[in-house]
Amino acid sequence: MTDRTRILLLLGPALVLVGGMVLSALGLALLRSLHLFPVVAPDLSAYATVLGSPGFLASLALSVWIATVSTALAAALALALALLLRRGFPGRGMVAVLVQLNLTVPHVVGAIGLLYLVSQSGAFARLAHAAGLIARPGEFPALTHDPYAIGIILTYIWKEVPFITLILLAKLQTLGEGHEQVARSLGATRWQAFRHVLLPQLAPALAAASALVFAFAFGAYEIPLILGAHAPEALPVAAWRAFTDVDLTRRPQAFAISVLVAGLGIALLLLYARLTLPQRGRHAG
Amino acid sequence: MRAETWRLLAGVLVALALVLPLVPLAIWSGAHGWRYPDLLPQQWSGKAWTLALSDRGGVVESLGLTLTIAIATTALAALVGVPAGRALGLYDFRGKRLILLLLLAPAILPGIALVLGLHDLFLRLGLVGTTGGVILAHLVPVLPYMTLVMAAVFAGFDTRIEAQARSLGAGPLRTFATVTLPVILPGLLTGALFAFLVSWSQYLLTLAIGGGRVQTLPLVLYSYAAAGRNDVAGAIALIYILPGLAILLFTASRVTGRGFGAVLRP
Amino acid sequence: MLRPLAALLLLTTAATADTADGEALKAMTWDQIVEEARGGTVNWFMWGGADNINAYVSDYVAGVVQRDYGITLNRVPITDAAEIVNLILSEKEAGITETGTVDLIWINGENFRSMKDAGLAFCGHTALLPNDALVNWDNPAIANDFGVPVDGCEVPWNTVQFAFAHDSAVVAEPPRDMAGLIDWIKANPGRFTYPAPPDFTGSVFVRHVFYHAAGGPEALLGPFDQAKFDEVAGKTWEILNELEPFLWREGATYPTTVTQLNELFANGEVAFSFNYDPAQFGLAVQAGLWPETTRSFGLADGTIGNTNYTLIPFNSPNKAAAMVLQNVLLSGEAQLEKARTKVWGAAPAIDIARTSPEVQAGFAAIEAHPSVVPAEELAKAALPELQADWLTAIEQGWTVNVGN
Repeated sequence: MTDRTRILLLLGPALVLVGGMVLSALGLALLRSLHLFPVVAPDLSAYATVLGSPGFLASLALSVWIATVSTALAAALALALALLLRRGFPGRGMVAVLVQLNLTVPHVVGAIGLLYLVSQSGAFARLAHAAGLIARPGEFPALTHDPYAIGIILTYIWKEVPFITLILLAKLQTLGEGHEQVARSLGATRWQAFRHVLLPQLAPALAAASALVFAFAFGAYEIPLILGAHAPEALPVAAWRAFTDVDLTRRPQAFAISVLVAGLGIALLLLYARLTLPQRGRHAG
Repeated sequence: MRAETWRLLAGVLVALALVLPLVPLAIWSGAHGWRYPDLLPQQWSGKAWTLALSDRGGVVESLGLTLTIAIATTALAALVGVPAGRALGLYDFRGKRLILLLLLAPAILPGIALVLGLHDLFLRLGLVGTTGGVILAHLVPVLPYMTLVMAAVFAGFDTRIEAQARSLGAGPLRTFATVTLPVILPGLLTGALFAFLVSWSQYLLTLAIGGGRVQTLPLVLYSYAAAGRNDVAGAIALIYILPGLAILLFTASRVTGRGFGAVLRP
Repeated sequence: MLRPLAALLLLTTAATADTADGEALKAMTWDQIVEEARGGTVNWFMWGGADNINAYVSDYVAGVVQRDYGITLNRVPITDAAEIVNLILSEKEAGITETGTVDLIWINGENFRSMKDAGLAFCGHTALLPNDALVNWDNPAIANDFGVPVDGCEVPWNTVQFAFAHDSAVVAEPPRDMAGLIDWIKANPGRFTYPAPPDFTGSVFVRHVFYHAAGGPEALLGPFDQAKFDEVAGKTWEILNELEPFLWREGATYPTTVTQLNELFANGEVAFSFNYDPAQFGLAVQAGLWPETTRSFGLADGTIGNTNYTLIPFNSPNKAAAMVLQNVLLSGEAQLEKARTKVWGAAPAIDIARTSPEVQAGFAAIEAHPSVVPAEELAKAALPELQADWLTAIEQGWTVNVGN
């Protein structure tokens, strides 16, 4: 058996099943958004409606805001956490355990838990009331169902910091401390060693993990569903509502949103590929 | 010493932050109403747990269904992902980059980009509303993780041990079982863990492909929460966390041979 | 664990008594239909937001149909009936005419209109149900679902009438009419809100304001009239926009569901909640979610009431069993059971005078929960529903003009 045949056999099931499903899904969404399937009646109206509607633009802006802030803060905190966990301190084992346990907690649970924690009548608000800081729920800051999506961002940070931290820790272990020690011995301060030696080495892994987190924070449905204000809706919520609308003319619009998001996703995919596949044929792991 | 104290403090804060959202869920699960501004419920009650653990609540049934789906998806992902990972890890070929992108895509494309199209596809295939359909659909977000992990594993794999076994007369199946599998097992378990967790926490995909008929645990949890049953939601949330935790503990000990604080060190 | 689960999956997907042919059933006698139904399954898709309703259906009703007919009732909880209409519509689009997912759906209003218009309902069979005789079809509020003639496409289940709830310990004297409520809101900023349409409950609240702006519903009954709508809508949006800064969160966001509103009320964030089904207030107090001092009231200018129904989709594969279930739901005993305060407290859709003496005695003996305003009292000032076109226009208008 030639190598080529062997490769085809090995990759076949994956390509046919998942590759097939992904391409079909994207294709169908594209065709239906253009009114080309099941009846061919080419029509750009879905895109015109979607792109022209202030609701869509507001939803897009909100989703971009949520994804950007969540990713930036999560990346920064994860970096700090990874550096923290690098060296020993009493209780490090426990923290390490909790970081990994957090990975197993599904997003829905995190979202609902956070809702009970930070809402205006949630656990923190009640503690504030008990401490005499506030008298009514309305006096506690609005962190859920709010225009800045703070609750949503907190949920993503809570869930994604451990994820990025573990990736960074793995990378830190392969890197070792040799390079920094050399820099320090040459007279660099701790900060300079970090800024000019360690950070550039971590950057690709951090950026790749951040791309994954950005994509997730942009596209997740259940977290904004639970914690979001009623308007503007995060893009996935708006898309699903359009998709399940009894008014069938909204269906192609939902597909149009899906296609636009797919476009963004493909851009992210290419970015991620550049960060993790530095040379042809070599797989960075 | 001072640096260590700071680290300890920071560590405590992090530990607290990681656990905190789960606390009100746990308290709610035992509450008979818990209104503001009470710090703790005025009255405790076991009725949320009774309902969650009974046949009537639909939770136990959903737990079984979600486990079935996650395990089936993981098994399917292993069957498909191990050979794919082998091809990507051991070989170089034209179009490899493109194929890698295609297989990676579901992990990066935001869920909503694929869910609607997948729903349409599955509707035409008659798979909407079926458990089998949901399992197949879960393969989409799950496979990238399995494939990537296995590709990394196989990239460091020395095929000569297989060649040796073959030269000693072992057939391909025997070679795989006795030579290849033990070597790739730690990576496979890691991939299986990721696969399980990704399937375990799927929401919108299951909602779309399941057509409302395949009620997995996240859907049931959300239903109760959306209906204002915070107490039952709390109980379900705690139940929902357990299997993932158990599997993490299991794979951690297998992967490193030690407790999973050791996962941090190679 | 896997093998019994797999077996269960196979069993549930294989119809034991596949009765998809509705026309054939309509030609049979009731006894023949019952025979066809024996041992069958019904997948009933209904709003799963109230545990007591779920318990009534899954325990009592399922028990009755299992015991008397060997029928397995599979209650499928949903958040919004529109999702199911969407599902059946997709099935029809995809050509699924005999093996639909849904056998029965709890429905009314716009969703019913959508299904009837799109030919998604199984119609013409309701007269075959023996307990159909208990229904007073001369009552226009029952014979019409939001102004749309039922035409034998659905079977009544409950009658409801909108009411407000308040904590008597916090608000001793609530406003008694819509004008009073509007004044109260302005005098107590941040203490009131309503779910954003198209939530069912938020939508009906907005319709009360709409009636108020129109000076009463009389002119609005009948088919949709764009001119009349524009005139009244303009005033309605003005009222609601004027109120916005005085609402909870200054109207920057609205609760998306009545459940969220109930939570705000439970925690004292807002002073009022409301619901089509006042029985929910009693259930909330019994569950410890709301304070015992909760009381409810209607409005002097009237509150809107309607009937809700069950409907069999055109492509249900278990029509016979679904019909038997509908008959059971309509029975005096089942209607009495759900009227019991501890069970649900739901008002019956049948004419109590037509039921057996035992059932009538049972109804007479029911003691309402103190937090629930009696249905008879609310009925003194009852307002009719508008036709679905008005609802859609009001909901869309709200989203554009008020919900920003």
